[in-house]
Amino acid sequence: MAQKITKTQRFMMKNWIVQFFRFLYLNTKILFVVAKGHGGTRN
Amino acid sequence: MAKIVVLGAGVSGHTAVSYLKKELSNKHEIVVVSPNSNYQWIPSNIWIGVGRMKAKQTVFPLAPLYKKKGITYIQAKGTAFYPEGDNEINKGYVLAEYVLGGKKGQTIKIDYDYLINATGPKLNFGATEGLMPGTNKTVSVCTYDHAQHAWKDLEALITRMKNGEHVKILIGTGHAKATCQGAAFEYILNVEHELNRYKVRDKAEITWISNEYELGDFGMDGMTLKVGGKKMTGQDLAEMLFEDRGIRWIKRAGVYKIEDGVVHYETLEGEYKTEKFDFGMLIPAFSGHGFKAYDKNGGDITEKLFKGFMIVDADYTKKPYKEWTVQDWPETYQNPSYKNIFAPGIAFAPPHTISKPRTSKNGTAIFPAPPRTGMPSGISAKVVVDNVIELIKNGENAKLHKGSMGNMGAACVASSGFGLGKGSAVTMTVNPIVPDYQKYPETGRNLNDTIGDMGLAGHWVKLALHYMFIYKAKMKPFWWLIPE
Repeated sequence: MAQKITKTQRFMMKNWIVQFFRFLYLNTKILFVVAKGHGGTRN
Repeated sequence: MAKIVVLGAGVSGHTAVSYLKKELSNKHEIVVVSPNSNYQWIPSNIWIGVGRMKAKQTVFPLAPLYKKKGITYIQAKGTAFYPEGDNEINKGYVLAEYVLGGKKGQTIKIDYDYLINATGPKLNFGATEGLMPGTNKTVSVCTYDHAQHAWKDLEALITRMKNGEHVKILIGTGHAKATCQGAAFEYILNVEHELNRYKVRDKAEITWISNEYELGDFGMDGMTLKVGGKKMTGQDLAEMLFEDRGIRWIKRAGVYKIEDGVVHYETLEGEYKTEKFDFGMLIPAFSGHGFKAYDKNGGDITEKLFKGFMIVDADYTKKPYKEWTVQDWPETYQNPSYKNIFAPGIAFAPPHTISKPRTSKNGTAIFPAPPRTGMPSGISAKVVVDNVIELIKNGENAKLHKGSMGNMGAACVASSGFGLGKGSAVTMTVNPIVPDYQKYPETGRNLNDTIGDMGLAGHWVKLALHYMFIYKAKMKPFWWLIPE
């Protein structure tokens, strides 16, 4: 049985103010994950 | 002075060309060989396919940009590789065929000091009987041209629904070993969003069909993410979204044939089933381009360069799933036989899939191929450029740069509806792309970097990425500050 999106989650997903801060957070997170570097895996 | 030839001008090829031009002085020659006249930002094809963006917003012509930047551009398609040259040319060259203008059909030998093969995949619609876009009620969003036709057909379907007709929509993978589930996932959510906008959602039964063992596999063997601080699997996330939007799903399905409005598929349990539809968007299998390679004397050496896609520094030893390691994945994207040839992005042959391979009771392999689109394509292209420059500067003493997909983060922003105020997207970041169970025994990935989020902000991010990456591709001032 799949989980349901709750009313609170749905409100948060559409709320402009909350989403503005999520926008800042997501951009920072993406930048951090993608730009923090890459390398090899073998010794 | 070195001559660098780049085959392909997609995400990977164009990224390579841009960095080569930025990093190398004008005494070096950069040549791009591509059959396409336009650069296209493929992730936005989804929005073309639902009529929310025009094709012209996602493409721009390559020729004027390359002319302005002093890059030689040949509109042709590579057909054969001669890494040792021949009796006439004493260095490696590529045989290419012009695709346009008066020279159409004529061939040209393009010699090189370094070759970057960024030819991407061949969209192998032919691998599934009846899956040609525009036939049998199926469409595609793999190219902007396909996506335009998809919208035309969807628009006609919406008109029928407005007239009271009930329809069936089927979206997913069109081959037992297809990849790019993410694109189909985005498309199904966007179609559902648009049907709501046109107030005809109640007239459609929407079904997802996929070769994934569980939803949310995405060809990456699934993932465990942190969503709102809590652990959640990709399966939980995808099922929650589908359940919320009333989308039914068929998983573990290997599509093998399409007839007019009917898809035929085999399940992992070995059953043969069918599903009817009025509008279908099914992602085809990806394959190599069938290039041939020859030595100096004309002997066939295709197996030294290609395993479907191009052979690079991966470990291609055949071994069972349990013995796969992250070290199998390539680090430098250099061909082991010819050190001046590289293949970033989708052009390199993966050592194996990321998802667990499974076969049906009838012996049919039904599981996703590994994705290498988007960020991995761009990052591996940058790694290859660094390596070419290192080889130019230091020759045999060069220390090659490494960028394994097992030590590389990526983000996927899957649009689930267009609109500045009413749009939404599922944003996922993963690190690494290929799970490393030695480093992260629990889930194979760094949980601090592997997160998920749903909401309007994701749509804004995807829209921002659209404009940023087109700006970057046009090589406008400070484009290089935007990471891959």
